[in-house]
Amino acid sequence: MNRKSPLNPAIKSTVWLLWFFFMGCILAMGQTSHTISGTITDKSNGETLFGASVLLTGTTMGGVTNEYGFYSITAPEGEYVLSISYMGYTDVNLKINLDSDLKHDVEISEFSTELDEVVVTADEPERAILRKPEMSVVKMNIGTVKQMPVVLGELDILKSLQMLPGVTNNGEGSGGFHVRGGAQDQNLVLLDEAIIYNTSHMFGFFSVFNADAIKDVKLYKGGIPARFGGRVSSVLDIRQKDGNSKNFELNGGIGIISSRLTAEGPMFGDKGSFLVAGRRSYVDLLLKAAGEDNSVSFYDLNLKTNYSIDPNNKLFLSGYFGRDAFKLGNAFDSSYGNASGNLRWNHIFYDRLFSNLSAILSRYDYDLEFAQEEFVWVSSITNYNLKYDFKYYLSDAFKLDFGANGIFYDFDPGEVTPTADTSPVNALKLDQKRAFESGFYLNAEHKLSPRLTAQYGLRFSTFSRLGGQPINQYINEQPVVYNPQLGIYERGEVIGETNYAKGDAIENFDNLEPRVSLAYLLNDDASIKAGFSRTAQYIHLLSNTSSVTPLDVWTPSGPFIKPQLSNQYALGYFRNFSNKIYSLEMEAYYKTVDNRIDYIDGAELVGQNSIETEILNGEMRAYGLELLLRKNEGNLTGWIAYTLSKSEQRTLGGYAGGPGINNGEWYNAFFDRTHDISVSGAYRLDDQWSFGTNLVFQTGRPVTYPNGQYRYEGLSIASYADRNSDRLPAYHRMDVSVNYKPRKYQNKRFKGEWVLSIYNLYHRKNAASISFGQNLETGANEATRTAIFGIVPSLTYNFKF
Amino acid sequence: MKTLKELLALIIIIIFASCEDVVDVEVQEGPKRLVVEASLDWEKGTMGNVQTIKLSESTPFFDTNTISAVTGANVAVTNLTNNETFDFADQGNGEYRTTTFNPVLGQSYSLRIEYNGEIYTATETMTGVTNITDVFQAREEGFDTDALEVHVVFTDPIEEGNNYLFKFQRDGDLLPDLEVGEDEFVNGNELDWWYEIEENEEENITPFAPGDIVTIEMYGISGAYYDYMKILTAQLGGVGLFETTPVAVKGNCINETNPENYAFGYFRLTEFVRTSYTFVED
Repeated sequence: MNRKSPLNPAIKSTVWLLWFFFMGCILAMGQTSHTISGTITDKSNGETLFGASVLLTGTTMGGVTNEYGFYSITAPEGEYVLSISYMGYTDVNLKINLDSDLKHDVEISEFSTELDEVVVTADEPERAILRKPEMSVVKMNIGTVKQMPVVLGELDILKSLQMLPGVTNNGEGSGGFHVRGGAQDQNLVLLDEAIIYNTSHMFGFFSVFNADAIKDVKLYKGGIPARFGGRVSSVLDIRQKDGNSKNFELNGGIGIISSRLTAEGPMFGDKGSFLVAGRRSYVDLLLKAAGEDNSVSFYDLNLKTNYSIDPNNKLFLSGYFGRDAFKLGNAFDSSYGNASGNLRWNHIFYDRLFSNLSAILSRYDYDLEFAQEEFVWVSSITNYNLKYDFKYYLSDAFKLDFGANGIFYDFDPGEVTPTADTSPVNALKLDQKRAFESGFYLNAEHKLSPRLTAQYGLRFSTFSRLGGQPINQYINEQPVVYNPQLGIYERGEVIGETNYAKGDAIENFDNLEPRVSLAYLLNDDASIKAGFSRTAQYIHLLSNTSSVTPLDVWTPSGPFIKPQLSNQYALGYFRNFSNKIYSLEMEAYYKTVDNRIDYIDGAELVGQNSIETEILNGEMRAYGLELLLRKNEGNLTGWIAYTLSKSEQRTLGGYAGGPGINNGEWYNAFFDRTHDISVSGAYRLDDQWSFGTNLVFQTGRPVTYPNGQYRYEGLSIASYADRNSDRLPAYHRMDVSVNYKPRKYQNKRFKGEWVLSIYNLYHRKNAASISFGQNLETGANEATRTAIFGIVPSLTYNFKF
Repeated sequence: MKTLKELLALIIIIIFASCEDVVDVEVQEGPKRLVVEASLDWEKGTMGNVQTIKLSESTPFFDTNTISAVTGANVAVTNLTNNETFDFADQGNGEYRTTTFNPVLGQSYSLRIEYNGEIYTATETMTGVTNITDVFQAREEGFDTDALEVHVVFTDPIEEGNNYLFKFQRDGDLLPDLEVGEDEFVNGNELDWWYEIEENEEENITPFAPGDIVTIEMYGISGAYYDYMKILTAQLGGVGLFETTPVAVKGNCINETNPENYAFGYFRLTEFVRTSYTFVED
């Protein structure tokens, strides 16, 4: 059953091209030069700064700091001015005499040392980055997130990202996010490198990321660097703060849904720091006090600590634990959550070779208890990930990233255990599934000329579906069969099963994933970029609802489910103008995804041991145009984002025969949005008052409405039109927020701040869904709209000391 | 304390009781199709000789005049074991009736309808059902622990693959409620199927109260009909937030003349038991 993916000729030639590039560059090395390296940190709290620009003034030599604040510049011997700049921080210029290899750790200060929330000019998103070929990337500072009006006072990184072009959600109250017409499970969400499988609390109302514990957020919408793999649509790379290494500090907030408290401070003398952040909702306590039987709650806990063994060795330990619980009367009790941990070792081999080794564990699980039926249902996915990444600063013109990682997955799709002898339910355990995924990559950042920079790399990924479970055999090898007479897909007939021993692989896959992008500087203020990336995804979230639920289960590729493969092409124009006060970013993209599964009518995914009988293999395609105009400086800052896009799916019958889903025609993906306009603005009046606003307009979500009715069993039964051929009404709303920081705190250690947010100011009843049915009293058919949030005011108090 | 409760109520409304209202929506108009309600249901302990098949046509979704009876069709059912054929006589109101039907459990039957020059056919097997062993009321169980619910107790037969259709109708309510069940996770066990009515102020629906009478019917159904009814019942009342995309539900009636012009509805043969329960003060 071992099948190799055929190497397509285009990929083959790309591989050769890359090889020649690398060789050429390595041979071109070799004039007398020295290296200056070090770490850039924030003076106030010792946090390392990711993405700070480090340049030798008057030359084009330099770069940006990596995730750990490290930089390394190699230049010919001579005297230079080392210039360090980072948005919101005061520039630092240092005279250096590069006559030998130097090590320079630099601390830089923020413009203002106020509470993050009121630092309006200081913490904006970065300007358009012109020189780096990196495109389709969104970096969002936590300060920006904290400024935006929010629903119910809960800061939400994911909702803030949705204000940017190419990122949408699937309606209010649905979890996760969609990038460039991709599905939710096609996003790789990493919190300190650990995979987070479910990004939302309370079914999607809030995100699992506590903004107080987060340092920075980077979303790769395309042009995914070769060091990432495993998902075809995007990578959301979220890094936790390291903790204040200078002073002990407490931060907190009291909101109407939850409260949070963060403690951070130095540890191990001046060798390290720690951070502990907790957040808990108290809706459940209030509900209980009100005598309500139903309940819903969540908490999360972020931990981080680091220890510098010596200047070249540093250890980091981070952890995340989050949990949701909900209860419906006596009938139903459930909890679910993510847990993750990561132990990292930063090692600088020498001033031009930086490395990081990570051992990561992450897990998502849920349990359901049905009290009346007397059984519990548990399900989980666990993975162990070992990852070694290197960055080699060969020369100013050539930097090389390379590394490898291996992930072992353990899927436990479901186990039913009766809790009493009288339970009507029989014990059941769905087959446990195991898999191993590996990735090896090499990526170069190459300045080909002063104007042209290229980033090119290759990732080789493999996936083995491991044995230790039986696999069904079907008549004609068809787990799904088309019944041409009735025009429906039916489950295939099992004729036996093959048992695979634990040591055997059931099926192996491998893929070469080239990633290439180019940036060409037109002038000091404008550049064009182009990129191509191929990505492979080996695990899939089984979900046949319009919104993903916390109870959906992940499944690995195997004999019946092939890995998803995506090609994305992007082209962009980037420009800063009016002295870099404004920036404009325009991108166009086209992407395809092969082997995207969809579900036969009436598919049963819960408690399903043979998922192959419920699915058909299909494909996706998405294309769009994104526009982002930002004002980066001044009392008024913000952006206007516009996306014009299309996202479709097609699922042919394939081996099952027949025309496929929706008669084999292309249909809109749930997350297709023709137009998406977001405006976000912040205005700083003075030291005490600042204001924020969001405006959102989106084409309505594709849905399937009835196209007729008939009488059956005394009821009016709706017949439905083609899949997703109707749309909900357009979605729009406006939010505002006011931040007030009383002046009396200004020179004290204790600082307090009030945030008043009004979500959906004009109280539009945006339809989250429209359902069709008979009025129980009159029997007439009617359409019922469900709107989740009307106008929602909220008040939050934040403090810091 | 009262103000706190008011605040709580507000929070609860904000978080949970997302607002619902009836809106005007334009929908597409699909092709008009023949609707076959060929439910040959045999009540346990009766002869089952009198059987009716209803034929109608589908109408636009918001059309309030939903009666579109089909007359002038030829309808017949044949027992495939002994080739005995039962002609269903046109009653002139969309109903076709026989008084000589002979139901046999486990035997297959075929349906043939000739209408508008097109031939529709279907085959199905007569499926038996077990007995209801107990019916009682309770309050604490169900989703709403304050609402009364009726419990139907029966024992699933030991062999796998039993499927059930339940029909609950309270006297005075306009519409029945349909639910389906299978024995996949509960095979061979004594089962307690409960049913309660959720309060719905807008539509003037209250939960069960003492004095209410509910009629309960439990049908033994085939696996294919279970699959069909599972989709159909899941889509009743529309689909909400976390529910599956609605689909066209296709039954087992094939249009032999023009397959594209398939019929809605189903040809089913079931055995069923019927009981009723009157709620008392608890």
